[in-house]
Amino acid sequence: MDTKAESWLFNLQVGICENCDWGFLVPEGKIPGKCPHCFRQPLSTIGENIAGLPNLRPAELYLPFELADSKLSQVVKAFVDGIPFSPQDLSARNLLKRLERLYLPVWLVDCRTRATWQAEVGFDYEVVSHQDHFMGGKWISKQVNEVRIRWESRLGRLDRQNNNIQAAALEEHHSIIKALGQFAWQNVQSYKPEIINIENIRLPNRSPEDAWSDVEAAIQTRSAEECCKAASAGHIRGFTWQPEFLEPNWTLLLFPVLSSYYIDDTGSEIPVILHGQTGRIAGTRRASMKRAKSAALTFLLGSAGIFILSLLVTVLSATLPVLLALAVIGIAMALLLGLGSIIPVAAVWWFNRSQQPVRV
Amino acid sequence: MVENFPPPGYIAVASAVEGIEVFMPAPAKPNLQTDLFEFKCPQCGATTAFSAEEGSLTCPNCGYQEQLNPSRSGKQAQEFEFTPVTLERSALSQVEGRQDLACQACGALTSVPATQISHSCPFCGSNKVFQKESPQDNLRPKYLIPFSVTQKTCADISRPWLGSSWMTPGALKGKSLLTNFTGIYLPFWTFDSVTNAAWKAEVGHDRTERYYQDGEWRTRTVTDWRWESGSVRLNIDDLIVAGTGKLSSRLVSQISEFDLKDLVDFEAKYLAGLQAHMYDIPLEMAWENGRQKMREKTKSACLEQTSTSKVRNFSMDLDFSAESWKYILLPIYLHTYRHAERSYTLLINGQSGAIAGQRPVDWNKIWLVTAALLAPGVTLGMLGIITLALAGIGVAIGGIGFVLFIIGLAVSLVILVQANKLDDI
Repeated sequence: MDTKAESWLFNLQVGICENCDWGFLVPEGKIPGKCPHCFRQPLSTIGENIAGLPNLRPAELYLPFELADSKLSQVVKAFVDGIPFSPQDLSARNLLKRLERLYLPVWLVDCRTRATWQAEVGFDYEVVSHQDHFMGGKWISKQVNEVRIRWESRLGRLDRQNNNIQAAALEEHHSIIKALGQFAWQNVQSYKPEIINIENIRLPNRSPEDAWSDVEAAIQTRSAEECCKAASAGHIRGFTWQPEFLEPNWTLLLFPVLSSYYIDDTGSEIPVILHGQTGRIAGTRRASMKRAKSAALTFLLGSAGIFILSLLVTVLSATLPVLLALAVIGIAMALLLGLGSIIPVAAVWWFNRSQQPVRV
Repeated sequence: MVENFPPPGYIAVASAVEGIEVFMPAPAKPNLQTDLFEFKCPQCGATTAFSAEEGSLTCPNCGYQEQLNPSRSGKQAQEFEFTPVTLERSALSQVEGRQDLACQACGALTSVPATQISHSCPFCGSNKVFQKESPQDNLRPKYLIPFSVTQKTCADISRPWLGSSWMTPGALKGKSLLTNFTGIYLPFWTFDSVTNAAWKAEVGHDRTERYYQDGEWRTRTVTDWRWESGSVRLNIDDLIVAGTGKLSSRLVSQISEFDLKDLVDFEAKYLAGLQAHMYDIPLEMAWENGRQKMREKTKSACLEQTSTSKVRNFSMDLDFSAESWKYILLPIYLHTYRHAERSYTLLINGQSGAIAGQRPVDWNKIWLVTAALLAPGVTLGMLGIITLALAGIGVAIGGIGFVLFIIGLAVSLVILVQANKLDDI
């Protein structure tokens, strides 16, 4: 990596989480107390030669955070609400307090492409058809114009510079996008170390060699669209080519996410991740079985107390018969309360069962 | 990278994107200009003409024959879709009036109808075929059925046909003028379509019921009307519609049964020495005629689905799909003969020999026959009236006379209708 490329790493050092194996570029001297992904262990810093890391390339563009605080609070509150017997630690205040800003990487490839290509291109054209109606001895005819596609063979050569072709730089890229949704690229900005290097930046864990197949497929799709446009056609199919890729240049695009966590019954940190633009939140929502059991036990104890009291009233009813009715009501209430004690446990079991675990 | 690029048969087209070259297969050059073909014998220089008997280009002078190798397209002949552009252009290329034609052999200037695409110079006898200028390649004839019936066969077909009806004048049987048949390639459109129809109607079901009236039991027929519905899908292939209005459509329709399996690619040589005309009924108008026939066919198919033939409040929705057309030339012999100061036209299908035409009606003969048919009834009727006084014999004679009169009247009416029909074409 040359000096120019190294300059982007100004003020950053590498931290690796030994628990989740995620690597980060973190602001020098501000190593987070816990891994910004799994929140289980502090990051371990590694040697000084960051530029020598195998999968690291300079960042070229980034997407800024666009999430207002009010929106953030609203999203987090909605995440917490509606969980029966939520864990003690799961509160909007805790989630907001623990939020970490994080940039995730995507490969950006600039590449010159030369190729011969062949395809069928489609041109829209109109044909005249008719729909007729017969009633009362008369025909009423209506002309209908239908659009059809005429396919024609085309071939050619292309010599194009393709810039900023994106490819996943993380093995988890597609699951993150699936959980959080797409990012809007229109606000993309040139990388500025003074703005970005105060945040945590995730290190790529997918090499350019691994990502090349994605790049090639993306260039092929883009080239097919351009060839269609070049032929002044509206459609293209059966695009085949013999490409030659020259001078590929790899850089990174950084997109913004926020991470936080809460602690469940078992004392485990459950990570939560948020889209840095839309605020869409993803994370496993778990209800607390411990709290549900406590509630159930309280109900059971109450039920037992009422039952014992009702038995005493039954004994007393031998001298004062009017108390017998009270005793019957008491026993019935005790039974109902005893049966109701199962509800908290069942509700938590049902809620946890219905929640899909979110892994990012 | 491929060294030899583009491959042979491809031509460059304008690209809308910088850095991308686009090539397309070189299109077959549409010949939209006027082409003139003349036919000379390579042996003796005389004018050659297409011979239906030989199926070749023949020199009547030295007997030279040039065999034609027909590219038989048959039912595989290319069909075209109805695009708004084609419909518009077809109407534009409709030709009116006449055009002057300078003979390249003798220099004589002759005037021919603008729809005519072949011509024999009346001065030197040379045969010419000229492909007209066309706004679109597929609006020129691309296929034709060559003549297979000869002129001699036409005479053999027409002579007995003329004498086959007793209503025609007796002199017609001996007409020896029926030799000069003119072979003409007439323009026709063929149409394909799939018709999808959904119909509903009230269908009447008759039943007999008994009822009591005026002290006795009687029977009567009552119709119960029930709603029925159904759907029909017809695949209509190669419906032939005339592309010219210059001949009686009734006569043309009578000989329009052609076997399109014999369609060959258009070649000027098939037209040598024969007449040929391009369409004067444009595609849109012909398609309207064709659709009318398709509607009626589909309607009949719908009516066949009803459980009885008593139908009322019939309605249907008809959707045309997969519509296509082609423009073809079909062989027809035309002969016009004169009888009693009037002209009559005869048409013969140049492929099958089917004949249709006008025949003069000998009305004197018709009236004589009518009088003869009515005479017995009238005579016996009169006799009955006269003999009515003789002990009632007249009633029987008058009765027989009345019956004979009614029979004679009915037969006469049939004869008159047929004669009128024969005379009306």
